Amino acid sequence: MDFETIVAPATAPGRSGVAVIRISGPLALQIGGNICGEVSQPMLLRPCSIKNSDKKTVDRGLVVFFKGPASYTGEDVIEIHCHGNPVIVDLIIKEALLQGARVAEPGEFTKRSFLNDKIDLAQAESVADLIAAQTDSAVLGANISLSGEFSNKINVCIATLVNLRVVVEAAIDFPDEETPDEDVRSLVESANDQIQFISGLIRGSEHGALMREGLGVVILGAPNVGKSTLLNCFAKENLAIVSDTPGTTRDLISANINLGGVPVEFVDTAGLRSGSQDSIEIEGMNRAKKAVENSNLVLEVVDAKDFHGFERLNENSLLVFNKVDLLEGAVPGEGLFVSASTGEGILELIDEIMKTAGLHPGIEIPALSRRRHILCLEKAKESLEESVSLLKDKSSLELVAECLLSAQINLGEITSPVSSDDLLGEIFSEFCIGK
Amino acid sequence: MDSFDLIVIGGGHAGVEAASAGARMGVKTLLISHKKDTIGQMSCNPAIGGIGKSHLAKEVDALGGLMAKATDLSAIHYRVLNATKGQAVRATRAQTDRQLYREAIQDLLKAEENLTILEDSVEDIVVESGTIKAVITSNTGEVKAKKVVLTTGTFLGGIMHTGLEQKPGGRIGDPPSNILAQKLRAMPFRVGRLKTGTPPRLDGETIDWSKLSEQPGDTPTPLMSYTGNKEDHQKQINCHITRTNTETHKIIRDSLDKSPLYSGVIEGVGPRYCPSIEDKVVRYAERSSHQIFVEPEGLNTNEIYPNGISTSLPPEAQLKMIRSITGFEETNITKQGYAIEYDFFDPRDLRHSLETKHIQGLYFAGQINGTTGYEEAAAQGLMAGINAALKIQNKKEWTPGRHEAYVGVLIDDLVTLGTKEPYRMFTSRAEYRLILREDNADMRLTKKGRELGLVDDKLWHKHLDKEKQSKDELRALKTRKIKPESKEAKTLELDTGETVAATKTHHELLKRPAIKYHNLPEHNETLTKNIIDEIEAEIKYAGYVERQKTEITRLQKNENTKIPKTLDYENVIGLSNEVRQKLMSAKPESLARASRLPGITPAAISLLMVHIKKERKLAG
Repeated sequence: MDFETIVAPATAPGRSGVAVIRISGPLALQIGGNICGEVSQPMLLRPCSIKNSDKKTVDRGLVVFFKGPASYTGEDVIEIHCHGNPVIVDLIIKEALLQGARVAEPGEFTKRSFLNDKIDLAQAESVADLIAAQTDSAVLGANISLSGEFSNKINVCIATLVNLRVVVEAAIDFPDEETPDEDVRSLVESANDQIQFISGLIRGSEHGALMREGLGVVILGAPNVGKSTLLNCFAKENLAIVSDTPGTTRDLISANINLGGVPVEFVDTAGLRSGSQDSIEIEGMNRAKKAVENSNLVLEVVDAKDFHGFERLNENSLLVFNKVDLLEGAVPGEGLFVSASTGEGILELIDEIMKTAGLHPGIEIPALSRRRHILCLEKAKESLEESVSLLKDKSSLELVAECLLSAQINLGEITSPVSSDDLLGEIFSEFCIGK
Repeated sequence: MDSFDLIVIGGGHAGVEAASAGARMGVKTLLISHKKDTIGQMSCNPAIGGIGKSHLAKEVDALGGLMAKATDLSAIHYRVLNATKGQAVRATRAQTDRQLYREAIQDLLKAEENLTILEDSVEDIVVESGTIKAVITSNTGEVKAKKVVLTTGTFLGGIMHTGLEQKPGGRIGDPPSNILAQKLRAMPFRVGRLKTGTPPRLDGETIDWSKLSEQPGDTPTPLMSYTGNKEDHQKQINCHITRTNTETHKIIRDSLDKSPLYSGVIEGVGPRYCPSIEDKVVRYAERSSHQIFVEPEGLNTNEIYPNGISTSLPPEAQLKMIRSITGFEETNITKQGYAIEYDFFDPRDLRHSLETKHIQGLYFAGQINGTTGYEEAAAQGLMAGINAALKIQNKKEWTPGRHEAYVGVLIDDLVTLGTKEPYRMFTSRAEYRLILREDNADMRLTKKGRELGLVDDKLWHKHLDKEKQSKDELRALKTRKIKPESKEAKTLELDTGETVAATKTHHELLKRPAIKYHNLPEHNETLTKNIIDEIEAEIKYAGYVERQKTEITRLQKNENTKIPKTLDYENVIGLSNEVRQKLMSAKPESLARASRLPGITPAAISLLMVHIKKERKLAG
């Protein structure tokens, strides 16, 4: 049975100057030749007439051939550059289908690249991330992953763990060779080093994951404490209507802002109060509560000049005292003091938001990462910590070996999981088309 | 001569287990050995067990085999290795009396009803249309058989080296059996070359024992067999330890030009884990001393086995080297050390049942498959015997999985990966080490052994009894409690340093590494050490074992994904040429086995998986 040849547009749908169609697989060269004429020389961008099977010219464009394995997928790849008209693109794809190709599934080009050992899994994921990146740092971060820098760090760590395992296994299988105490001490040291290293990766990855996923911050509070003014202050434009009438904001209003490379969505909500009879206002308050569930962080805003202590609406929220410019006398409690209308204290508030969210100001741009990576890293760290505590007492070396192996497997899951079809399917389905 | 169901060729450790297994399962079995007297002979150091090896010996025992029983009847020094480490990696090692061991094996064989023993040498085998039909011996002529197990050790093209002198041979005094070897070489079996070595034997009368440090055996003496009896133990004697020194190393270095290893005469690959003293001195040049275990060969002999200095230096250099060692200043050598090079059949030409892929009904077991060690040989012999008998009885073949027994690990490693050096078992070869322990081999295997007809009433009832006691005790441990501040809690803290902060059951307390069963305030005095070991291990490993079991289930899925025999790897697009070559030559039976091949990446496994699924879909 022949492996199939796949075809898909590599550029976004719609009208544009140029569109690129990618064909990958054993028939790529043949199909490319039929459509564009002679294309045997690899890596050469050549002008051509793009013809259908009736030898009628469909468009004039460029064609390039990448000979496998020196191609994106590792297979023979043809790329046809035509004018960016969806009708032309469709005609060319139809032509390729007639000649034996089939339409690529989402992510299939990258999946083949992974399956052909051109890139590892973390790199494959970063391709999707690069396409979806929302901020400049996210683009840089995705590239750090794609270049394999992140994978390299993981692999170095794995190599160290393998060395540790060798020492432990030798002590188990060759007990007569007298393992001195220094060996155990250096094992502990080395395991601790790796714990530190992985902790660093986790910190970076948390930041990296937020760069990828963005951060949701909900502004919550009683009516008329200045929530909408705060949103406008963050957005630096008047998105939300501001008035002295309590209950002006009914629905959720959001603003997207780039904070240190992390896309942050601030959501303004209806003021919470009891006793309202207005069904629209009640629905607004329900939406506010829902928004809290879906957020990473809640800012609980209170009026500084009108604050007499109260029950917190949300335990994990940041308490923000607004309208400090109007405050006379002592501050009423502990928290952050800002004035949304004058901008006083806003920078400090933003710092606090970043810190609470697990973003580390001054951190180098980390590799763009996923929750999956963080989970694996955390599991690996846990196993290593267990091994260190087991090493205190030399009687459980076989369990130390278990923990080290388990840490190694967890790290391996990041770059090259032991084939689990589900995981691969999930990862590659994130691509919207071809790629 | 009559025809037989099963013929076993060779009376070494593989041969005796194969013959005994066949006989126990009720098939009419013939064991052919060229010398009746040497059946059960230990050709190298007379010791059974050790790391990974005792696990095998106990698994053979749990399936009714001979090795552990004979050990308990002949051991003169027992030690539990890794005694300070966890249960899973503890390993019993016994120094035995060579003669007593042999006699014990021969007695056990004599008691088998379905077994005939023939002293003769096999010259040829009769193969018709790819199936074994008979063997031809020098004195008895043709003997027909349904199945044949070949356990002829290093008989293939063996060459012994002492210094630069060589002579063909197997063990000292045994002629190499070359006619059969030539016949087999003509078949498409792949052949590899290995070497192994042995130290010179010493005259104990000429050793100054006062200069050596004593290494007493463990008391109370442990048991190798589940049905063993301490009352049957021989008198126990001490082993001793001495060391090489810089003078020894200088003598060795000065003689390297006369060593077949270093003058390029030997081509075979030796075991990395058991290097000759020449290798040790060259490879670990920075070390000024190596340990030598000075082990007795028996109760009624003065011959001594100096473990750790196998050598193939010329005789004069061997003597000089020996006499440079503390305690050996006046010592005489009784037998020279030597290296032996031999061919082995690549075990990748075997199926998991140990039947050869090229001749139906012919099984290989033991050193012929590239393994080293009595225990490795015994385990293969047992499995070949079992599978040959099952085939004779038209029953389904059986090989335990990697998660069920070291025997399973051994066979899967051999037939899947082959070997480049003499294969020895280690605990690190077993992924599920915490489950495969000395204390529970019977819990893992005896029931199956009983089903197959391998296990006699004695072992079976003992096993049932143990299972019941262990279950009862585990239940009782969950009901007994210790309260904080109680007298019991204080005693426990005094003994183990462990505090009881809240009321805990004994079961919960046993999970802590520092607390052993005997530390508990109430314990059942009637339980044997073996049962206590098993209970402790079950409790202490519970969390980890749970993890391993999840892993096993996951792996089982891949194990169950069979790779069709007809699969053409050329059609699996995306595989690199290297991977494709490896898969084509190994022809793994399942996805899991493919994944254990060296150099097979997870990505390659994914490709294979996708391909198999697709083909299945196409086939409807």
